[in-house]
Amino acid sequence: MSEGLKEEIAREITSARIVVYGKGTKTAPRCGFTLETVQFFDRLGYPFEVIDVLENLPKREALSEMTDWPTLPKVFINGTFCGDTDILEPMAASGELKTKLEEAFGGAVSSPKATINLR
Amino acid sequence: MIEDNALTGLIVGTLPDAQVSIHDRTGTRDHFNVTVRSRAFEGKTLIEQHQLVYRALRAALTDGRVHAVELTTIVAES
Repeated sequence: MSEGLKEEIAREITSARIVVYGKGTKTAPRCGFTLETVQFFDRLGYPFEVIDVLENLPKREALSEMTDWPTLPKVFINGTFCGDTDILEPMAASGELKTKLEEAFGGAVSSPKATINLR
Repeated sequence: MIEDNALTGLIVGTLPDAQVSIHDRTGTRDHFNVTVRSRAFEGKTLIEQHQLVYRALRAALTDGRVHAVELTTIVAES
């Protein structure tokens, strides 16, 4: 894994409180699981960024190696790897995710925004 | 493509007490539902439990023998 890629990823995962590596973009997901993840965070109402790595195989490999996680999407909260919605949904149900997000966003209460269906 | 016993072998290689059940989702022997029960999961978060299994499967996931795994991990009673 190149040092450059590693540094790029380290920078990206702290560039926003919630960062999702996926296939496609927030408004045009190109994979069902990426869409599912976008909808999941839309419902929660916290701002998040999606980084498209569909075409970037070296970066996908670097990410898999860094996280011990072979699949996309990959979610980072506050720079910490948090898996995908299979992990986040039980965390949401148990209240663990709410605590994590409140920590990440400095306890600020954000009102859930309306989800706009773009299709 | 990978046979059940080879897939189980990879997991047991990392988690010796693991009880593994495998379901071939597509009939093509590369998309699986895998359930792993092990004492090694005790005290670990769900994400750490999955990382243990993914680590065991890394080679097979990298070389394409396994394309997709839907993973369930269960903490075994010690």
